[in-house]
Amino acid sequence: MTVKQAAWLAVGVLLAGSVYALGPGAATASSHREAPLVAADPAVDNTDLYAFVSPERPDYLTLIANWQPFEEPNGGPNFYPFATDATYTIKVDNDGDAKPDATFRWKFQNQDKRGNNTFLYNNGPVTSLDDENLLFKQTYTLESSFDGRPFKTRATGVPVAPSRIGPASMPDYNTLRAQATRTLPGGWKIFAGQADDPFFLDLRVFDLLYGGDLSETGQDTLAGYNVNTIAIQVPFKDVALKGDAKRNPVVGVWTTTERDRVRVADGSSYGGKVQVSRLGNPLVNEVVVPAGLKDTFNATPPERDAKIPALVKRVTNPEVPQLLQQIYQIPAPATPRNDLVEIFLTGITTKAGGPIKADLNSQLNNADVAAGRFTPSEQLRVNLSVPVTAQPNRLGVLGGDLQGFPNGRRLTDDVVDIELQALAGAAQTGKLVDALAAGDQVDANNQQFLGKFPYVALPNTTAVNSQGGGPVAQPQAAAPSTDSTTGIGAAPAGAGIPDTDQSEAAAAPGAGIPDAAEPVAAASTEGGTWMTKPVAYATGATGFGALILAAGLFAFMRRRRRPAPPQPIFDPEQTTRM
Amino acid sequence: MRRTLIRLGIAAALAAAVLTVATVAFRPTAEAPAARTVARQVDPLADRVARAQQHLRDVPGDWAGWSALGAAYLEQARVTADPGRYPQAEQAARKSLALRRAGNGDALVVLGALANARHDFAAARDQARAALRVDPADADAYGVLADALTQLGDARGATGAVQRMLDTKPGLAAYARASYDLELRGRIPEATALMRRALDDAVDPHDAAFCRTQLGDLAFGRGDLRGAADHYAAALAADSTSIAAQRGRARVRAAQGDLPGALSDYADLTARLPGPSYLIEYAELLNVAGRTAQADEQLSLASAAQQLFTANGGQDGLATAALALATGRPADAVTAARAEWNRRHHPDVADTLAWSLHAAGRDAEALTYAKRAISGGAHPSAYAYHLGLIELSLGYHDEARAELTRALGTNPYFSPVDGPNARRALAALGGSR
Repeated sequence: MTVKQAAWLAVGVLLAGSVYALGPGAATASSHREAPLVAADPAVDNTDLYAFVSPERPDYLTLIANWQPFEEPNGGPNFYPFATDATYTIKVDNDGDAKPDATFRWKFQNQDKRGNNTFLYNNGPVTSLDDENLLFKQTYTLESSFDGRPFKTRATGVPVAPSRIGPASMPDYNTLRAQATRTLPGGWKIFAGQADDPFFLDLRVFDLLYGGDLSETGQDTLAGYNVNTIAIQVPFKDVALKGDAKRNPVVGVWTTTERDRVRVADGSSYGGKVQVSRLGNPLVNEVVVPAGLKDTFNATPPERDAKIPALVKRVTNPEVPQLLQQIYQIPAPATPRNDLVEIFLTGITTKAGGPIKADLNSQLNNADVAAGRFTPSEQLRVNLSVPVTAQPNRLGVLGGDLQGFPNGRRLTDDVVDIELQALAGAAQTGKLVDALAAGDQVDANNQQFLGKFPYVALPNTTAVNSQGGGPVAQPQAAAPSTDSTTGIGAAPAGAGIPDTDQSEAAAAPGAGIPDAAEPVAAASTEGGTWMTKPVAYATGATGFGALILAAGLFAFMRRRRRPAPPQPIFDPEQTTRM
Repeated sequence: MRRTLIRLGIAAALAAAVLTVATVAFRPTAEAPAARTVARQVDPLADRVARAQQHLRDVPGDWAGWSALGAAYLEQARVTADPGRYPQAEQAARKSLALRRAGNGDALVVLGALANARHDFAAARDQARAALRVDPADADAYGVLADALTQLGDARGATGAVQRMLDTKPGLAAYARASYDLELRGRIPEATALMRRALDDAVDPHDAAFCRTQLGDLAFGRGDLRGAADHYAAALAADSTSIAAQRGRARVRAAQGDLPGALSDYADLTARLPGPSYLIEYAELLNVAGRTAQADEQLSLASAAQQLFTANGGQDGLATAALALATGRPADAVTAARAEWNRRHHPDVADTLAWSLHAAGRDAEALTYAKRAISGGAHPSAYAYHLGLIELSLGYHDEARAELTRALGTNPYFSPVDGPNARRALAALGGSR
């Protein structure tokens, strides 16, 4: 066969193929410019926000925000940097006008010594953050602004705890964690770096909403994965209205990721930021928000929340209770759900005219708040005057433990079970629904949280997808150190003083794993005169949070579903059988 | 029925066998590029697809999950240039719509992106606008709309859509589109700066390879061979299978006089993606090397690929016109280019129509379109060369001299065939003044 003959034969077969082998549209057009449309951008992806009174420093508020879910340990030379072109923030509203009164702002820089010779992040064991073997690392600058005043630099050149590459490369990760945990003037503590993802749940529980059952629960979907954590601990007086946490104990917090505004006319940054991600209550921003408003909501500051009718409607007429009614014959509460509006947009208070007869965590209950300026908005609200619970109940307020979600959020709060119960009617009856008593059967994180700042567990080191498809709890020799707060008074914008004390410390009460089997809530009734009816919180507040959260879980599942090992058997033809 | 199936099987087997023979026979040498043997340790895109599939196995009623899977399939189709993913993407999007019609902008975005990929830009524009009626601030929908309007030649509308995307979800996807928008307005330094910004946000190696390839193309377009070579090398280091990056490297090699290296790249990449445009470029280079018989074979394959594409309902007037020009059928080229111009007014279409008219000896008409091609601000060497030769044919010597000087000044390596031709024409005009 000559080449020419072969060519024409090929042509003929190609044409034949167009009839037999290929369906319409299977052939490629000549290329035009095709850019990525949905590019992976996990570094700006907010996953969770926690806000709680520090168990070992009861006059300090701890704020923990996480980004970049599903960081697979040991999947190769994986390293998960913060984005250097993004601004990471945590914002605090203490007067209820939905505008930040305190803003903490982080910006990250790369130190890349790899050159063109290697893609590896380290060149031998890394025993300290200054180790020459650590070829790629990040540092950050922390700035803060209070009451609208200009930003002030609080720390610069602070090292980020690097992605935990593995036991051979980083034989003593405790040291790296401690060196990245800094104390600043004013008693602030800061940390940024990789950590175990503290969120725990079995996302499969939500399959029930599609007609599934609860027989396959009990597996922590997020076990084994890491996230990027930013944590800060500040005294109450720095965030409370007028610096007075006694008169004004409630603050609302949310976290954002922002990028520069760019003008296409000339490609320049022309001032201002675009908010690309936003998070307050767990899962809410994916869920409460209707599908058609997701980008709008992520770009919207809280002060405009109440001006979005579709958003408010989603709160007053949530979809999930209707689904539960269809599938489980659990009657959906009557709408409009003004209780949800109250809890979601205002905090739990008797001062907004809502149905919940309790005052827990609305800025309206701050003595110095001008009610006329109060603006409903979605925030994670925490009452700083609720004392640290000695034995936290994973069900939080629903379990009678007023320090837990939705009064702020602790690492150990089982927000999924709280919400499931409320969805199933606990909010209506005041009683737990037996059929759902086990919830998702994941009552605690796979790793123990630490007893001191930054509390989150050290990063996992075993590749999730090498564990036979099922996450395996990994005991970690977490070595929390005691405080080293002495030495405050260094240069105001230095990198802070690292934790140098490597001594072991037992997990402090309130940050350990709660007893999953506690039948009775740990009572906490000494919270102050404004807290009068804890039961009301249980029947109202959690019902609200649950509904909203469960609704959002559909979206959440897509983002955070545990990736399975490669499954070659997927049959795309199944997609056509509708 | 059974007999039909058997025949189909035979046809398929025969096709595979013959194609293998043809491919081997057409290869000038049996080189096996090392880049293809490098295994990828982590493929975030494959991970994304696998995650979506796993999720849908567990929760098959999740309509938004189906849209996400469709979007992931489309990204795979883009990076692998494998149109076999298109039907899968469409099925996933339609499944999503079947589960939930109201408020399902995600599925409309997938269908719009799919229409763009299939060059049905008007349909893509309409789908994007439908998605924007669901969510007026859907950044992805603005991306689809920007792509469609750009290709349709609505420059102002495209710029507006890109700005909305930047204002809603700044990041790689928005920066890349803004970069192209600037490039089409001739703002090359600004386009380069934004593509670098996109590169900074790249996490997926495929995305990094895309940005690097675009940076390479921008560098090549201004005659910076070294810069272009570095970007293409980086692109191939990030994604060893990137066809666009390999094609860029081939053009750099040809410009540097490494004809064997360039031919080797083209042999490999056209074996992997036998699309008309790349085959025509390959043929062009084979002609430069004096291997005209092999060049003709590539053109035969290009014709086959083009017929295959159109037989499947595809429309690509640019490829049809380019093929007609390459095979000495200027009248057919004019017909195809004009048909494409009736569909859309992208500057590339104006340029192709002008060049086809010139080849058909209709320079007065050609001049109108050649000037239209550069009216938006983009003025790459190829446009300038085409305009210059049209002006030369019309006897406008000063204008022709200026354009040819511009073509060679912008990128002296812009074409292995047209570059030397431009120099001869310029010399005949007495050189640049």
